[in-house]
Amino acid sequence: MELTVDRRWDLVDRIAKETVEVGVYRPSLKDALADVTVRPATGIPVAIAVIYGFWMFFCEFAGTLFTDGFFVKIFDGHWLPWLQEVFPFGLGNWFYELMVDAGHMENGVLVASDNCFEAFGVLTSGLFIAIGVVLPAIIAFYLILGLLEDMGYLPRLAVLVDTVLHKIGLHGYAIVPTFLSLGCNVPGVSATRSLETRKQRFMMITLLGVFIPCGAQIGMMQDLIPAQIGWVFLTLLVGYLGVGWILNKVWPGGESPEILMDVPPYQMPTWGNIGRKLWIRVSGFFKVAVPFVLLGCVIVGILYLTGAMDHIANALEPLLTNVFGVPSDTVAPLVAGFLRKDLAVGMLEPIEMTTFQLFTSVVLLCIYFPCLATFALMIKELNWKEILGCLATLVVVVFIFGGILHGIGTIGGWY
Amino acid sequence: MNKILLMGQPNVGKSVLFNRLAGARAIESNYPGTTVDYTKGHLMLDGKSVEIIDVPGTFSLDPKDRAEEVAVKMLEGEKDAVVVCVIDASKVERGLYLTLEVIEKGYPVIVALNMWDVAKGGNIKINAPRLEQILGVPVVPTVATRGEGLRELVVRIREAEPVEIEEILNSVGGNRSGTYS
Amino acid sequence: MDKKLSEMRYEEEGRIKKIEESLRAQIAGMGIREGKDIKMMTKQPIKGPVVVSVDRSNTSIGLGLADKIIVEVKR
Ligand SMILES: Nc1nc2c(ncn2[C@@H]2O[C@H](COP(=O)(O)OP(=O)(O)O)[C@@H](O)[C@H]2O)c(=O)[nH]1
Ligand SMILES: [Mg+2]
Repeated sequence: MELTVDRRWDLVDRIAKETVEVGVYRPSLKDALADVTVRPATGIPVAIAVIYGFWMFFCEFAGTLFTDGFFVKIFDGHWLPWLQEVFPFGLGNWFYELMVDAGHMENGVLVASDNCFEAFGVLTSGLFIAIGVVLPAIIAFYLILGLLEDMGYLPRLAVLVDTVLHKIGLHGYAIVPTFLSLGCNVPGVSATRSLETRKQRFMMITLLGVFIPCGAQIGMMQDLIPAQIGWVFLTLLVGYLGVGWILNKVWPGGESPEILMDVPPYQMPTWGNIGRKLWIRVSGFFKVAVPFVLLGCVIVGILYLTGAMDHIANALEPLLTNVFGVPSDTVAPLVAGFLRKDLAVGMLEPIEMTTFQLFTSVVLLCIYFPCLATFALMIKELNWKEILGCLATLVVVVFIFGGILHGIGTIGGWY
Repeated sequence: MNKILLMGQPNVGKSVLFNRLAGARAIESNYPGTTVDYTKGHLMLDGKSVEIIDVPGTFSLDPKDRAEEVAVKMLEGEKDAVVVCVIDASKVERGLYLTLEVIEKGYPVIVALNMWDVAKGGNIKINAPRLEQILGVPVVPTVATRGEGLRELVVRIREAEPVEIEEILNSVGGNRSGTYS
Repeated sequence: MDKKLSEMRYEEEGRIKKIEESLRAQIAGMGIREGKDIKMMTKQPIKGPVVVSVDRSNTSIGLGLADKIIVEVKR
């Protein structure tokens, strides 16, 4: 026999009455902390401090300590010169070019590269990007995320941002998929399953796919354009909120439901669990990302060697230079970006362009397409109509953002 | 018994329990909605390897989002599974609601009263033996994070049996109209 | 005195008197039911959600949903 809802609750009450005895409860430090972090007057400053601290740790730990302080020295000072010395064939040979160093022309002479960003071989740039830059970034990100997750801070952040996110048709809980996406878009897209309506899920997945850069990409950006990265985030945030607001108006599916969410008590995080999660996520990242970065290097190298890249660049030149105001050389990173965004950002480094063009290229790389792994999951999670909606949004966003940035650059005289 | 499902509301400690029991690696976090898909693992029971599944959390068997849908479909698809209902001992009532729903569907159930430490710290006393008497299924207090009670939980899984809801209605005291309505 | 949950002031306490049918089953699963004691923990500005405490657990509820809950406020 099955009970009705009311009779079942009735039974629950009777069982609880006989078996549960609730004594007095003395609020503890945890409860005081819970109050402080969720009340707007104190909670909002705390939230800003937490996010700022998160970012500072990310930059210091990943960028300064590991990448600049350690890996750059190893890769540029020892690994690259060693490979240049011992690898057979030498400069000018196609296999050497693919694996170690393509070199570059200086006064009509082909000279060897002196750093791993420019060498662009599988074993040099490929490994440097994957291990030297992205690995520390991913570790730093997941270390802090794990800490916030285990303490129970995220639901509080969700309450605080609900006011804003509700206005664009999402609710505060969207902060969870968004944070996860800042590590990697794939788990971020999966996490949208805990949103209630199809419309919310569609909007969230679209916004994640278009506007949220992953940890690997952020690590590379932080390394390449530390001075402009704030502007990149601001541009993306404007897009996230603005496009969210518009999608909410135009996409059918009615009003967004309101937040209804448990806010679990704080708890002491344990290093054991944080370490275990870090390991699960970093090793998962490694299994997927490293082969893809190396594969990306090989594919791009082959496109260059066969001359195909020049054809694509010529074909897209009018679009890239006239509409977006970036050099046609950026076509190579855009191709690589289908596979890995981190690799793509790294490929921007050797291209000659102004700072503003570099900034525009980085923004375009974020929004023009999610990586293939994310896109595959999006296809699984959305129906065909939603996929078309998502792709249409993407195309419109790329043209509008690219165009506006080009306009701003022209007015500012930054070309 | 061919499968064991770990079911319960979000954030009650199912994934911690699962990782402990199956030596597996599901992500554990202190917010609802961490697990949105199921994870499978294996548990040795009487020398046999039995599949155990970490099901996404659900408030009831009447799903309201995709993660809950996954949970309910999982339960419906595994007609001869044993269900370990994981309850947050500091929030017994809502956990019991889901447990009753699962019992009504005819599944053999065993209850893990997890977060026993939290309940104790909050001065909440639960008479587990009496609860076991009323429900007619094994009830085991556990602290998943410290591994407490897990041995007993595993040993008693085979005592899980389907119970008629009428039996529960008969064995509980109190008047039928209850305290509210 | 009866009030909508959305109108309760910060730190005000009361007992839940009525929950609209459309919300009742869903919110009951989170431990919020008629007859339960409830306390307003925080209210977010500009029509943001409220956070309430019932049976010592905290739940965040959008203001529109909080409109559907009637509370008998303790004085
Ligand atoms: N104090 C205490 N915390 C626990 C216990 N079991 C789980 N937790 C914590 O509760 C949170 C939720 O656990 P998780 O397994 O992710 O919950 P799930 O959503 O049911 O899978 C985590 O932060 C765990 O560390 C327990 O028995 N005692
Ligand atoms: Mg879980």
